[in-house]
Amino acid sequence: MAVLTRRRNHRMVVDYADDLRLFGTPWKRVGLVVLVGLYLFVPVLFADLTFSWLPDIAQTAVQAFFNLNTLAYVGVFAIGAIGLNLLTGYTGQISLGHAVFLGVGAYTAAYVGNTYSWPMILWLPAATLAGFLVGAAIGPFALRLRGLYLVVVTLGLVFVGDHIFRNWESVTAGNTGVSTTAAEPVLGPLDFTGLELFGHEFTTEQSMFWLIWFFVALTALLVKNIVRTRPGRALQAIRERDLAAEIIGVDLSRYKIMAFAISSGIASLAGALYGALQLFVSPVDFALLVSIQFIAIIIIGGLGTVYGSIIGALLIGGLPRIIDELSRSQDLPGVGGDVGGVDGLISVSSLNQIIFGLAIAAVLLIESRGVAALWERSKLYFRTWPFTQ
Amino acid sequence: MNEFLQALIDGVALGAQYALIVLGFVVIFRATGIINFAQGALVLLGAYLTYNAHVTWGLNFYLSILISMVLVAAVGVLIQRSILQLTFRETGGVGAGLLAWAIAQYAEIESWPAFGIGIAAGIVAWLLLWGIERRSSASKYNELPIFGAVMVTIGLLFALKQLVASVWGFAELTMQDPWVLSNLNVGDLSISHAKLWTIGLAIVGLGIFFVFDRFTKIGIAMRAVHFDQEAAVAQGIPTGLVFGVAWGIAGAVAGLAGATAGAGVAQLTPQLDLVVFLAFPAIILGGFDSPGGAVVGGVIIGVVQNLVKVYQLEAWGVGFDRVGIFIVMILVLMVRPYGLFGTPEVRRV
Repeated sequence: MAVLTRRRNHRMVVDYADDLRLFGTPWKRVGLVVLVGLYLFVPVLFADLTFSWLPDIAQTAVQAFFNLNTLAYVGVFAIGAIGLNLLTGYTGQISLGHAVFLGVGAYTAAYVGNTYSWPMILWLPAATLAGFLVGAAIGPFALRLRGLYLVVVTLGLVFVGDHIFRNWESVTAGNTGVSTTAAEPVLGPLDFTGLELFGHEFTTEQSMFWLIWFFVALTALLVKNIVRTRPGRALQAIRERDLAAEIIGVDLSRYKIMAFAISSGIASLAGALYGALQLFVSPVDFALLVSIQFIAIIIIGGLGTVYGSIIGALLIGGLPRIIDELSRSQDLPGVGGDVGGVDGLISVSSLNQIIFGLAIAAVLLIESRGVAALWERSKLYFRTWPFTQ
Repeated sequence: MNEFLQALIDGVALGAQYALIVLGFVVIFRATGIINFAQGALVLLGAYLTYNAHVTWGLNFYLSILISMVLVAAVGVLIQRSILQLTFRETGGVGAGLLAWAIAQYAEIESWPAFGIGIAAGIVAWLLLWGIERRSSASKYNELPIFGAVMVTIGLLFALKQLVASVWGFAELTMQDPWVLSNLNVGDLSISHAKLWTIGLAIVGLGIFFVFDRFTKIGIAMRAVHFDQEAAVAQGIPTGLVFGVAWGIAGAVAGLAGATAGAGVAQLTPQLDLVVFLAFPAIILGGFDSPGGAVVGGVIIGVVQNLVKVYQLEAWGVGFDRVGIFIVMILVLMVRPYGLFGTPEVRRV
């Protein structure tokens, strides 16, 4: 055994602790260092990088994507998507109602901020808790329903949520929407509307990037820890076959409700941060389209992977910005104006949605398990080389 | 009492519309096992094609409905063949055709020659890809999981809806149908002709479907495929044909539903596809795989929606009727998880 433990390959698993390692291989440790480095220095580097050495079109695209504002929104998407992946990717419960929980978080934060002027250390947990509780209340409905029936019930949830957001005027201010500036992103001495560190003053965009991607890392770690331990295995057993899971002793109702509650809690966290980023939320921000975007993110990224959610968020969150900027600045042929048919065949937002729709279809047709599967496949190719097929 | 009767009749008309929409879902679900979210886009397309045939081309309104049904059915079959069946040459052919058409349109060639160019390019690309596949025997069949296929239809919903909006614009259009603002007055009740026609057309459409489903060979094949796909294949039933026919029927029904949804006092906008999401409670109520349930579910939901609209309290807010039907749906599902007429899934341990 001694020989084994000394000289074994880093991929070889000999005990439970090996199996649980988060950063088991040297490359993963390098990756961690790179990611932390990116997290710390991206806001500083991108603030005054113009990419002027690139050709014109590429420059516009890169500027639109590697823009701190875009990346902050991508971060919010990533948090929500990680939550949804826990529910859909790991537990197999498809939900079209994710946007509602974002709304719950955003409105809760706005309400406690406006009414009680709570600081961030209170409004963020309050928003998360609100989503957690609402999710736990919805969870029992999923116990009796399976597959497509659950999809349609969660679709109904979007309509119910939209109605409440539009009509509970004392909290949500109805159709017009509510300002979230009172829920300030200020944590003790750290004011994320303009961070001051080491005598440096940073812009709002830079500060918000640090704030939001910190929570991306936090939720990624949380979900990763859930899925690699006992509760996570129970969830995956439910996904594979709930009947079999029940027979081997998984408490179905407990774990399904848990998955719903945690996933909605994370969504509400994302919603509260979305409010802090956007400074204003209205019912339009939590419409069916948003739910579908989240589903698209986790499918394109890869169901049942945490990093897939982040990749998906980068693609779905970044692509519209690139198309937007490109079509505005480059005068693409046939694309014109904000309203279709005025001075072009197609409007910018239409083009955006067409490409969004076709991108979902294309990714699924090429690799139905998403980008994460492409990555795993190419890793496998090199690992087993020269015996790959 | 009159108020109640009025709401009831209006509800039945709405329900007839829902029944048509639901039938489109059920036909596809029964044959292929997926919920086709693109049905909304097909309904939208049906409405705009009817408008185009009637107003732009100046054809008779009823003929326009028929044309729109045929065209939307063709689009449905095309989607099924080219995208969901995943035959490489068909996808490539359709893609190349559309691309060539768009380029020709943009180059400001007259619309009919441009259309011809598109079709020609599509056929050329199809033949080319067919040749390549024959040579390299590269025809790869990538089996999509059910959920993936559902997602593809959601993607198509976005793409098709925006295409429709790009062609016809976002502005409100009027169908100029012969039913506008004319009413049938019975006592104190006033029933608009559009609603009567909706009910009538729905009855005819559904009737034709039920005859087809029960008595024709392909209808029976569809039921066989639904019952057990492998056994059906073993019996020599061409599943590809069955799937295509299912999408064709769904398209035709969507064309009819679109025409009725855009007619009457309603204005035609690209937001029309929302009606499809409101039809979901009806699908659930009837059960995903029951065409008869589609009719019953559609009418129940239509009536409930209208009754709620009339009798709701003001404090519940504007548009509570749309929420009400979802609440009814959830209540029904709590009691019967497979709808009123759906087949319960047998779960063996």
